[in-house]
Amino acid sequence: MKSLTAIPGAPPLIACFCLLLGWELLARWIGLDSLPPAWETLKSLPAILKDPRSLYDILSSVRRMATGFALALAFAIPIGLLMGRSRKVAAFFNPFFMIIYPVPKAALMPIIMLWLGIGEASKTLVIFLGVSLPVIYHTYQGSKAVGEKLLWSGAAMGMTPLQRLFRIVLPAAMPEIMVGCRTGLVLALITMVTSEMIVRQAGIGNLLFNSLDLAQYEAVYATIIIVGVLGFVLDLIFEKLRGIVVGWADPVHQIAVGSA
Amino acid sequence: MIVNRRVAEIIIGAIPILMLLGLWEYLTVTKIAPPTLLPSPGAVFMRFVQLLGDSNFLGHAGVTLYRLFCGFGLAVIVGVGLGIAGVGSPLIGSLLRPVIRVLAPVPKIALYPAFMLTLGFDHASKIALVFADAMFPILLATYQGALAVDTKLVWSARAMGMSRTKALFTVVLTAALPSILTGCRIGLIISCIVVFLSEMISSTDGLGHLLVRAARNFQTVDMFVPIIAISALGLLLNAGFNALRTRLLRGFPEES
Repeated sequence: MKSLTAIPGAPPLIACFCLLLGWELLARWIGLDSLPPAWETLKSLPAILKDPRSLYDILSSVRRMATGFALALAFAIPIGLLMGRSRKVAAFFNPFFMIIYPVPKAALMPIIMLWLGIGEASKTLVIFLGVSLPVIYHTYQGSKAVGEKLLWSGAAMGMTPLQRLFRIVLPAAMPEIMVGCRTGLVLALITMVTSEMIVRQAGIGNLLFNSLDLAQYEAVYATIIIVGVLGFVLDLIFEKLRGIVVGWADPVHQIAVGSA
Repeated sequence: MIVNRRVAEIIIGAIPILMLLGLWEYLTVTKIAPPTLLPSPGAVFMRFVQLLGDSNFLGHAGVTLYRLFCGFGLAVIVGVGLGIAGVGSPLIGSLLRPVIRVLAPVPKIALYPAFMLTLGFDHASKIALVFADAMFPILLATYQGALAVDTKLVWSARAMGMSRTKALFTVVLTAALPSILTGCRIGLIISCIVVFLSEMISSTDGLGHLLVRAARNFQTVDMFVPIIAISALGLLLNAGFNALRTRLLRGFPEES
């Protein structure tokens, strides 16, 4: 007999179900107005997803997130590669990145808004800042660990430094870069939601607090579920992508948690 | 020779930091950026030093620290406990893994409104958020570290008559310590950031609130000070934790 847990995808689904069940029971037991039961919340989900305004908020948030993430990758991966291949570049950037590492990026939002205004630019910039560091770090670690012998062999076969970078270093560092991208993706979502919650102007974070101010508690929890599902799905897609791009590498056990 | 190289690296490393400060100073001195938008680094620094002696400011910092350590402490207890339990009992482990798989990539900050609704606007909701955010890296690191512990160590302890539970806590917990401490360090920095953000989102005290208050009153200097304070706090805690880690891990094989 095939065990239920052997079906791919089943354990997370069961886990979701158990979490929702626990929530439902807790809500019924406490009976607090501000903690609606899970079922009521789920029922209010379609209404939010059908409402063009909130849908627009969600989609524009996702678009900003994607832009910030893509820009961060375009910036961070080359820097990480340079740092990994040159001790001097690494020594140049390392202390700087170490100092800005504990700065809460989303907290820069009010200051950046002073400079760039309240438009798309400041929101995207904050996401860009939040994503860059982990991607740089992992790319650096990955490209640093490339075997010297591989590079020597490449050089002996007449490859130019540029060819070696693209044909040897980049593929060899790819698994680690993907780890960085995955952390970065989660961080992009976190930074996006956080910065929107701080400035309360547009997007999902605003949606959350609007419903909170209007005491539409089901909508608050439903939006939380939307954000949660977004995080889970993005992570899942990325995991699949990782399997396609670097399926040859061992899955890296890593801590895919971060914070803005 | 090696000393020379390290000195050279430190000097090289100082360049971007000094360049950034220089650019900042240049922008303010030449008035390219008006002081209302970008105060000079000197002004920010003086204000920071001045506030360090201000009891009101220190009170806000104290509130932030209190929330930080409550949340982080809880996260360490629960994270390490669950992680070890998950390795000790296959049942708990198989229950734990899917739940982590689902909850780890969820942005915990989105739960903050829910915490506010259920736990109120005071300390509890912020502590809960810090806990939720810091717990997962600690739990994952503990679980993965404990799984990687050489089974022979446990067998030896069991052969010497140690009970399963005792072996779990004396052998596995100790052997997984390097990994656990790494997780805790990540969790600590995350706590530091999250507590600040939660105070920015909704609070009447704490360093995060100071930043929001300054932003509302367009006091740019006072906007920079809390950010610098929380970042400095993060660096200090990180350094302190590293020192503690080296002390605790004396005798462990060197970890890269």
